[in-house]
Amino acid sequence: MANTERLTLLSSSPHLYAKADTRRLMGNVLMALAPAALFGVALYGLPALSTIVVSIVAAIAADAGFRRLVGRKPGIGDLSAMVTGLLLALVVPPSTPLWMTALGSIFAVVVAKEFFGGLGANIFNPALIGRAFLIMSFPSAITTWHRPGGFTVLTDATTSATPLNIVKMGGSMADVGRNFVDSGLAAGADYGSVLRTLFIGNRAGCIGESSILLILAGGVFLLLTRTIDWRAPVAMLAVAFAASWAFGLDPVFGLLSGGLVFGAVFMVTDYVSTPVTSTGRLIFGAGAGLISVLIRKWGGYPEGVSYGILIMNCATPFLDKLIRTKYGYVAPVKAKKEAAK
Amino acid sequence: MTIKSFKGGIHPPTRKEASVGKPLAYFMEPKQVVVPMNQHFGAPNQSLVKVGDTVKKGQRIADAEGRMTLPVHAPIAGMVKKIEPRAQSNNLDGPCIIIENDGSGATDFMPPLDAFACTKEEALARIRDAGIGGMGGAGFPVYVKLAPPPNKPIDTVIANGAECEPYLTIDEQTMHEMPEKVVEGLAIVMRVVGVKKGVIAMEEDTVNLVPVFEKAIAAAGHGFDITVQVLREKYPQGGEKMIITAVTGRQVPSGGLPMDVGCIVQNVGSLKAIADAFLEGKPLIDRGFTLSGGACATPGNIIVPIGTLISDLPPELLAYDAEKLRKILFGGPMMGVAVPRMDIPVQKNTSGVLLMTAKEAVAHQEGPCIRCGRCIKACSCLLTPVLMNAALQAGELEESERCGLMDCVECGACSFACPSHIQLVQRFRVGKQLLRNKKAAMAKPSAGVKA
Repeated sequence: MANTERLTLLSSSPHLYAKADTRRLMGNVLMALAPAALFGVALYGLPALSTIVVSIVAAIAADAGFRRLVGRKPGIGDLSAMVTGLLLALVVPPSTPLWMTALGSIFAVVVAKEFFGGLGANIFNPALIGRAFLIMSFPSAITTWHRPGGFTVLTDATTSATPLNIVKMGGSMADVGRNFVDSGLAAGADYGSVLRTLFIGNRAGCIGESSILLILAGGVFLLLTRTIDWRAPVAMLAVAFAASWAFGLDPVFGLLSGGLVFGAVFMVTDYVSTPVTSTGRLIFGAGAGLISVLIRKWGGYPEGVSYGILIMNCATPFLDKLIRTKYGYVAPVKAKKEAAK
Repeated sequence: MTIKSFKGGIHPPTRKEASVGKPLAYFMEPKQVVVPMNQHFGAPNQSLVKVGDTVKKGQRIADAEGRMTLPVHAPIAGMVKKIEPRAQSNNLDGPCIIIENDGSGATDFMPPLDAFACTKEEALARIRDAGIGGMGGAGFPVYVKLAPPPNKPIDTVIANGAECEPYLTIDEQTMHEMPEKVVEGLAIVMRVVGVKKGVIAMEEDTVNLVPVFEKAIAAAGHGFDITVQVLREKYPQGGEKMIITAVTGRQVPSGGLPMDVGCIVQNVGSLKAIADAFLEGKPLIDRGFTLSGGACATPGNIIVPIGTLISDLPPELLAYDAEKLRKILFGGPMMGVAVPRMDIPVQKNTSGVLLMTAKEAVAHQEGPCIRCGRCIKACSCLLTPVLMNAALQAGELEESERCGLMDCVECGACSFACPSHIQLVQRFRVGKQLLRNKKAAMAKPSAGVKA
């Protein structure tokens, strides 16, 4: 038995691989988003469902279509376009016209991702770029919200202000409470009821951002499956809490309202557009939290999470320079002394 | 006892079930051996025998002058049939001395030497004369390692029994069957270097060996301070830098050696060979390795003479499914070398031969880097592989060095962890060579400009 007859494989070490692959990681994100997405459909009914479906289909089609158009290799079934589509759907209001959603989704995939070089090469968070594009192009449609009620169609009768809208107009917690009671979302208008309603998510807003409970559940799932790093989310929430308190806003209300928790769990943990180093991730999260609250307090919009994250995306290449100390690191002064020995 | 460890690393499937606990099987009389003449890093050896010579087992057959050279000995008694280049386990052709067994079993060992009565120089000479190189895989000449310069005092010798590569169980079996030889070898090393403290380190899956070793230390420890330390089962716990950090808490300085932090690390197989060299006068002419893998029907731990071709193993020791066989590895799956054939000789540093099926040897397409950072968590040297790779792709060698390129030990943990299956280790090997070439080219012009 000198030589084997079949050809054997020659490759570089290592010859073993972990089971985790990109498709599985993206699958984990989809599973973590599912509860919040389903809750959004339960809140707003058919409009929410069709927005989600259209956004996902448009993203996948744009991904495949653009790659074929420019002769790029087809995607490896890594589900990243699907994630972008779902994320975008969850951060727009349920009454967004479907063609608008599709446009935003195509913009997110083609401009924010493919133009920069495809998977792994984008500087900005694609879903947030899609949302920013929609706000710029169709400001009225993207800032119209409806109260939850499980509808088949959303009309003028069902429009409502979000809690952050009310606060931005100068309202107090009591006003928010009364709005919840009037919309049939809560029994009492006291502060405790307000917080509870916000935590469960039974309030007007974008499709997937409202249920803090379900988003956090998704976040815990992602942490347990080691899909995300705790640093950026925790830094963002901690700094947002502290900044809200420092600027005279209610910090607990601030955490539970708007897209802060959604952004902390699903946007600030995006692998490609956020720093890869531990220190970088902490600073990224902190910066995103701070800018979000600055916009909430003094900016023109009631909610600033999208812009907070997009602005910090610009800093990612610099934050990547903050690498950790390697094993056996010898500081330069010491190295000179050792060489002189 | 507290289980110690190091930062980073991965937990690959151990896959040791097939061969763990299998008693050492001896196959000491192959019909031929193909002995690579160079099993060290230094100047190439010259053959001391000619074709047609009769050699005895243990006779020196190749040697060279030079600081890092190691002699090679005849593993069997017989006639030198050929001296020619042959395929070696590093995928290169190297000069080999081919000896045909004449069945005489004639031996020519050195006289036994009392390591505790002779001088240090005599002891180091004996270790060199026995041709002992590091048997954990690196093959570093032991007599050089045990003679550090006087400005590098040593206070701890670590016996490396942390067999962290998947599939491999030979060190574990050696520790199970010959603990006194390991302890004897450790005591000899401690005596030669003049060190007070010895530690026998092993992973937690072999914790049943702790009482075995405590007994052996009492019997063969020569009264030295030798303790046993259990380490976390993690890859690469058995790496030199990692085991030093786990056992002593010290970090080997970048670009430095274990002696810079007062440590010497020696594989348990090397220690057993050292004990044999003094007790029996036997040079390093045989070694054990683990034969395993999904396509192997007879996994086990085998001891053979150096130079035995894998294809020459008898069917009761080597039976495999040729249809299923897809990859042949020398070494472990994390740092081993894939070879194209079975007629390749076992060397002084061969710790395993793995016959892998298509499922085990699956080769993936590289995907784009998604910057997930799993490689950073896995890196045993606390480097930043994702940025090293990005810098190399951009052609920025200095930036890659800043992120840790030259400190990479090529353990493979990062490539294992990468969800996009990027061949990081291969890229780093190429990058290191490019950087070395660049530095060499930059150094040349100034050579003649000294005032």
